[in-house]
Amino acid sequence: MAWFDNGCGLSLIVFLPLVGAGAVLLIPKTREGIIKSAALAFSAASFLLAVAAAVRFDFGASEQFHFGTDLSWIPAIGSRFHIGIDGISLPLLVLSTFITMLAVVYSWNHWPEPRNPKAFLLLVLVLATGMAGTFVALDLVLFFVFFELVLLPMYFMIGIWGDRTRIRLPGFKREVETRLYAAIKFFLFTLFGSAFMLLGFLALFFRADPHTFDMVALAAAGQGGAFGGTFGFWVFFALFLGFAVKVPMWPLHTWLPDAHTAAPTVGSVLLAAVLLKLGSYGFIRISLPILPGQAVQWAPFIAVLAVIAIIYGSLACLAQTDMKRLIAFSSVGHMGFVMLGIATLTEVGINAAVIGMVAHGLITGLLFFLAGSVQHRYHTREMARLGGNQKLLPRLGGILGFTAIASLGLPGLAGFWGEFMALFGSYSPAAGLSLPLFRSAMVVGAVGTVLTAGYMLWMLQRVNLGEPALEWLDKGLVDIDRYELAAWAPLIAAIIAIGVYPKIVFGASTGAVVDLVSKAFGG
Amino acid sequence: MVSLATLAAAIEVGVGVETDPRGFVGVLVHGAWLIPVLPLVAMVLIIAVGKRLPARGWELAEAAMAFVAVYSVALLVANWIDPIAYEQHVELSQIGSVGGAGLVVEWGWVVDGLSILMFTVVGIVGFFVFTYAKGYMEGDERFTFFFSAFCLFAGGMLVLVAAPNLVQFIVGWEMVGVASYLLIGHWWEDHANNAAAIKAFITNKIADIGLIVGVIIAGATVGSFRITNVLDAVEGADSALADVAFWVGLALFIGAMGKSAQMPFHVWLPDAMAGPTPVSSLMHAATMVTAGVYLLGRMMPLYNTAGFADDVKLIIVLVGGFTLFFAGLLALVQDDIKKVLAYSTVSQLGYMTAAMGAGAYTAGLFHLFTHAFFKGLLFLAAGSMIHAVRSNNMSDMGGLRRQMPYTFWTFLIGSLALAGIVPLAGFWSKDEILASLSEDAFGLGAAADLVLVLAIAGAFVTAFYMARAVYLSFFGSYKGKAEPHESPAVMTYPLVGLAAFSVIAGWVNVPGAFTAFTDWLGARAHAALDHHAATLDLGVAAAGTLAALIGIGAGTALFRRDAATQAQRDRLRVPLLYPVLRRKYYFDDLYMHGLVNPIKGPVARAVNWTNDVIIDGVVNGAGALARQLSRLVYAGLDQLGIDRIFNAAAAATGEAGSALRRVQTGKVQQYAGALFAGAVLLVVGFLIFS
Amino acid sequence: MGAELFDYHALAPELILGVTLLVVLVADLVLSEERKYLVGVLGIVGLVAAVFPLLTLGFCDRLDFCSGSGVRGMFADGAGNFSYVVDDFALVLKGLFILVGILSLLLSVSYLEGDRYHRGEYYFLMVASVTGAVVMASSRDLITLFIGLELASGPAFLLAGWRKGDVRSNEAALKFFLIGVLSAAVLLFGMSLVYGLTGEVTFAGIAAAAGGLADDAAFALGVIFMLVGFGFKISAVPFHFWAPDTYEGAPTPVAAYISVGSKAAGFVGLMTVCYVALPGVSEIWGPVLWVLAAVTMTLGNLTALRQPNLVRLLAYSSIAHAGFVLVPLASAALGDADLGDGLFGSLTYLIVYAFMNLGAFGAVMAAARKTGSTEVEGLGGLGTYAPGVAAMLGLSFFSLAGIPPLGGWYAKLVMFRAVLAGGGLWGALLAAITALNAVVALFYYARVVKTVYMDPVPRTVDVDQAAEFPLSPSLVLALGLTAAVVLASGFYPQIVGFFGDMGRTLIAVP
Repeated sequence: MAWFDNGCGLSLIVFLPLVGAGAVLLIPKTREGIIKSAALAFSAASFLLAVAAAVRFDFGASEQFHFGTDLSWIPAIGSRFHIGIDGISLPLLVLSTFITMLAVVYSWNHWPEPRNPKAFLLLVLVLATGMAGTFVALDLVLFFVFFELVLLPMYFMIGIWGDRTRIRLPGFKREVETRLYAAIKFFLFTLFGSAFMLLGFLALFFRADPHTFDMVALAAAGQGGAFGGTFGFWVFFALFLGFAVKVPMWPLHTWLPDAHTAAPTVGSVLLAAVLLKLGSYGFIRISLPILPGQAVQWAPFIAVLAVIAIIYGSLACLAQTDMKRLIAFSSVGHMGFVMLGIATLTEVGINAAVIGMVAHGLITGLLFFLAGSVQHRYHTREMARLGGNQKLLPRLGGILGFTAIASLGLPGLAGFWGEFMALFGSYSPAAGLSLPLFRSAMVVGAVGTVLTAGYMLWMLQRVNLGEPALEWLDKGLVDIDRYELAAWAPLIAAIIAIGVYPKIVFGASTGAVVDLVSKAFGG
Repeated sequence: MVSLATLAAAIEVGVGVETDPRGFVGVLVHGAWLIPVLPLVAMVLIIAVGKRLPARGWELAEAAMAFVAVYSVALLVANWIDPIAYEQHVELSQIGSVGGAGLVVEWGWVVDGLSILMFTVVGIVGFFVFTYAKGYMEGDERFTFFFSAFCLFAGGMLVLVAAPNLVQFIVGWEMVGVASYLLIGHWWEDHANNAAAIKAFITNKIADIGLIVGVIIAGATVGSFRITNVLDAVEGADSALADVAFWVGLALFIGAMGKSAQMPFHVWLPDAMAGPTPVSSLMHAATMVTAGVYLLGRMMPLYNTAGFADDVKLIIVLVGGFTLFFAGLLALVQDDIKKVLAYSTVSQLGYMTAAMGAGAYTAGLFHLFTHAFFKGLLFLAAGSMIHAVRSNNMSDMGGLRRQMPYTFWTFLIGSLALAGIVPLAGFWSKDEILASLSEDAFGLGAAADLVLVLAIAGAFVTAFYMARAVYLSFFGSYKGKAEPHESPAVMTYPLVGLAAFSVIAGWVNVPGAFTAFTDWLGARAHAALDHHAATLDLGVAAAGTLAALIGIGAGTALFRRDAATQAQRDRLRVPLLYPVLRRKYYFDDLYMHGLVNPIKGPVARAVNWTNDVIIDGVVNGAGALARQLSRLVYAGLDQLGIDRIFNAAAAATGEAGSALRRVQTGKVQQYAGALFAGAVLLVVGFLIFS
Repeated sequence: MGAELFDYHALAPELILGVTLLVVLVADLVLSEERKYLVGVLGIVGLVAAVFPLLTLGFCDRLDFCSGSGVRGMFADGAGNFSYVVDDFALVLKGLFILVGILSLLLSVSYLEGDRYHRGEYYFLMVASVTGAVVMASSRDLITLFIGLELASGPAFLLAGWRKGDVRSNEAALKFFLIGVLSAAVLLFGMSLVYGLTGEVTFAGIAAAAGGLADDAAFALGVIFMLVGFGFKISAVPFHFWAPDTYEGAPTPVAAYISVGSKAAGFVGLMTVCYVALPGVSEIWGPVLWVLAAVTMTLGNLTALRQPNLVRLLAYSSIAHAGFVLVPLASAALGDADLGDGLFGSLTYLIVYAFMNLGAFGAVMAAARKTGSTEVEGLGGLGTYAPGVAAMLGLSFFSLAGIPPLGGWYAKLVMFRAVLAGGGLWGALLAAITALNAVVALFYYARVVKTVYMDPVPRTVDVDQAAEFPLSPSLVLALGLTAAVVLASGFYPQIVGFFGDMGRTLIAVP
């Protein structure tokens, strides 16, 4: 399998979906069956190759970059096609391909209006390339391209297949359709962030000697103290803008509830499961290793924002009447734990962030699937109108209950490790960080877990429990079909598996994280 | 005490807890991981195939519990013969490092006197309750799911008991919590039950903040989550741990207060009665509420070692003391028989906690042991009555002793055992607590005396409310609607079985005479610091018994005569006290109006408003600003107000000619002007700035 | 380097274009009205033919039949300063101009069909304008430069007014002409000042003499006036007022050509003058360009935000892009970064911009043909009945917005790169302004795409008829070419990066 290890493998994982998109483009619109099969085939192939990568991965040396290659790409600006995966990117790469495949499966018979499966799957596949590419890129420009590549598909997905209810925005006279507002809001927010992120990249390029966009080289230089002082401060800020918008960190998060709520089911799933991770991954992969000194300066600030996000997100959830919007806000809180873990700059904390990302991807992804299916059946997301779902649709209700409980961080399920270890990390943060601040962060974060439990159970009570309203009794609602089952069962299995045996993630990530911390923050 | 000697030796040679027995016992302890795992397997199987089985999944659950019961009894015997102190770890993963040393998370199981005791309690009580539940839940539409959740409930408790490290402890702890949520809310069509379930879960979750913080501090300080390592650090007088030990102890105790329903975290337990009676029975006897006491027992050396968390003991003993007395009072005014028993449980847990606070490790767990049997019995008996009269309220009962002899006699035995009448189980354990308090080995001084007084008064209260319950439900005339009848055998046999245990369970630890129980518990590492009264203190025993008898007497005097109305039934409406008791000391009002409603209401809405109006306002404002700016730039600057200017000019020259003419002349002049203006501006600017 | 007076190989492109002009003129006379389209074909053939010598020149050192290589100078003055230089920089730009010409002609053919005006002259004029631009690319003295500039502009004036019967077209031409003449005057004034003070016409000579005049106010005045003159060609604020009206009035393909071809010509003038003639006095033109860049892109973008008409929107967008192209030139003059990065940045941006902007105009033409309107609102739901055109619109507009994986992102990248290479506080400030502008710009590009894909079809449009409406093959070809370049340069930017890199040779001249 030498061909696999010298970069072809990763390139296939990344670009097969794009090829698939091209193939779908060529299939006539009317041949839906073939289009779906093609999309599934390419996304599945990408996923299987990612699994193969995980199998061939050398967990003993997870801090090194494997299966990589470093080819000439844009010599004119000194940017190279440098890819590779280490223990941090591997789980996320598998996650993104996994979710994509399941999204295609789920789409099999769930089409938002206006249907047009061809265009929809085409976007999903392009999205897949962008997501996977971001996790393998080791060159800043390459990273930027993949990072931005997800914008267009998601913009169209929200804007075309999104929620058509009309809203009036404060400060505007006329009403707009949610999808349009959410789409452009998502687009502008991200572009705003990434424009400055790009400036940060270029600044690093020119400060590095010799000039380079290579993350590994830059990390080495950064850990040698090349990017200090005011320069480093502003560069970190520029990168922060780019990543924090994506995560999203409070108060740059307001695009998220709108985008998640307006997006079609598959769109919300991909947004929550993978796109948010691009931001936190950027912090771990770029900001911390390349600007360690600055990271220490910024960590308290990030920790405070993270804790605010945890509490704020949970409280906002308690005020929601829309099921999907509630789940969206819960992401703000959960990503707050991820960012808190990162802010501690400790092995445990960053490790917590990695597993937290994976867990959130699986759990919240599944939650959005479920919300989509609930809407698919009831044609409403208003929790006031729902209720008694458990009685009408026992299977759907059961899975919803399981997922909600997983989402509130029940030990033994995937969500627990990220939260617990993030708190653990913030009890003893890296040297040089304020103990009082981080320890208060730990306590506040722990309080956040209570609120999380509160709104999740409350959501369950309003959606699942009680007697169903009369209006649903004669609707002849059908319980989950086999496509939904096929899309969800793997997620449930993964949630339990990681919860019971977290080494599935830690086995890869720990080595890389330990290496990162010891190099960047002196152990 | 051969056992303690061998153990001391084991500790001295430094192998910690690793006594690794060979032969049959070896097989037993090596396989002990099956105890927590099998019920969980049963849970999964029941969900998967339960519905297709003849007894719709019940048999799997019952089998699992029977296995646990038998296995744990076998372990108990083995431990009796030759003390076992064994633990095994399965490394999951390293998650980082603390102070250079790798920090790992593990699964594992510990087999020592303490865990074996808990296994036994869960196994035996669980076995009876599961049997009983088959009859009780017959015909329930979620029969199968109920038993799978029941397995999770017991399984979670066993995971927690078997935990050799604090992370696994948390896992089991939360599994129990979730199972309780599912079971309390089993009849979720009624939102009242959901509210009770959520209340139980959230209350515990709040207390869990303590547990999590405590575990984190301990783990981060010691660099390991293994209980053994933490306690080793205690024995080794590790200074780093000593610095934070107070906080660890306090935090863990707060966690324990939640699960063991100590004031002010007790509010969830009475509401938990919303669940089916077997759930209440298991929850109050063996699983869940005992977890807190177990945690204190597990971490006892931390609390009993000077220089560590020993200051926390004062808090523990006081919390226990107050809980045992004031919760007892609440039982006096309940009409719902299950609520009587619920507050009684809170009060009895107060006894155990107080004992732990006094450092009387054995006494506390001894009471846990005996209490499990008679409280389980009482709940099942109450369930049997409820089953018969279709109501929880004693105001719908009365005179049941004729129709329900089994229930009556077993309930009576349970009541007497609870009241602490010689020679029933309750007497021995309660007496040991009282004795330990009066002995006050840790010199808590006035606090211990105060709690002792409260405990004796509590004995009176206990006897009093149980007498009330017995008379109201079994004597006098029947007031209910439904046709009362004795329950089926599947429900009465467990009553009899538990009644037997309620009688004899106390005899395993007769001070001075027969101390098997002490030996069982002694068989563990870090057990050196137990301070229970090993001898029978006649004075205290007399006082306790006397208080109980007075209580029974008073109860008889007040409630033997039948009464028509509730008002007459509560013959002691003490002016100031009674309303307070009816309102449950206003705890619920305080929590609902002071905490829950504000957060769910105004606070949450305020946050949401901030989000939609302020933060989003800034965002949308930026958009609107850009649009306004563009209008300004376009009309005001870019087009230079062409038309306006020209119209003036045209009017002046009186030749408002063709549109073509007008546009050309007008704009071009403007443009040319702009061009030169721009050029000049640049030049001037340049000359100024250079 | 070739030193003979006439290097025919080097002059081959210009010569071929000259011949093409004659052929087109003659053909126009002999061909009958219904076969006039052949004139356009001839023009295209000529332009294509002119590409080959460019290639042979560019890869001369790899071709055995080709003698001489590198920089070919001609018409040296006494001091040996060349007036006409064919180096890689010139070759790249000549290539760009010719390609732009070809694409514009392709657009025009479809546009002029069914149009009752004469076509022959049209092609003649466009080829002539291209020729002028091609000459500019090589001119290294003031006079040649000015001649090239006028040759490029003059025909454009006429083309703008091509639709004689249309009031707006005439208006457009007249404005364009008057302002153009004025700016030419300003330019000449500036040139004369510079010549008077340095006594040199060749850039090399000026460069040598300019050193001592750095703080001579009159000299500065001359330099600034030259900048103003070019500022008109590139439609930099505040010399841009003609652009929106002209674009709107002129035939769309002409507007496309002006927005790309003659804009690029203006930039060539700016680059050669600033970098070759006046590199020593960058403290004069640096700040001026800085201001022009900032003001131009900001006002351009803000104004474009609310344009209801597609062509006007593109006009302001092209103004904004002029600001973006200026950014590298301006920033390179600040700090002490080598001017090469600036050239590289601007040139690369110009190349990418040329294709995506032509693509945008082409798509707008196609959309207008289908919907019969150039208003943004008219495009509602275009994606549902004309997926191809809609995709083309989305492609070019998002490329203009600089969103990966479309070519525009690379243009933006190299622009930012040049800014930060210049470094210094001013560079960072300009970078920040540019970044914000990039975000603002997205808003109006996205607005169009939103209308195309997410809005309902307006009642005015007859969907079936519009869907059936055929597009002329030449238009489709033009769109296909631009789309191919936009996508290719997005995924493998080196193909434009390579040519952009050649721009550095401009200042490699000793």
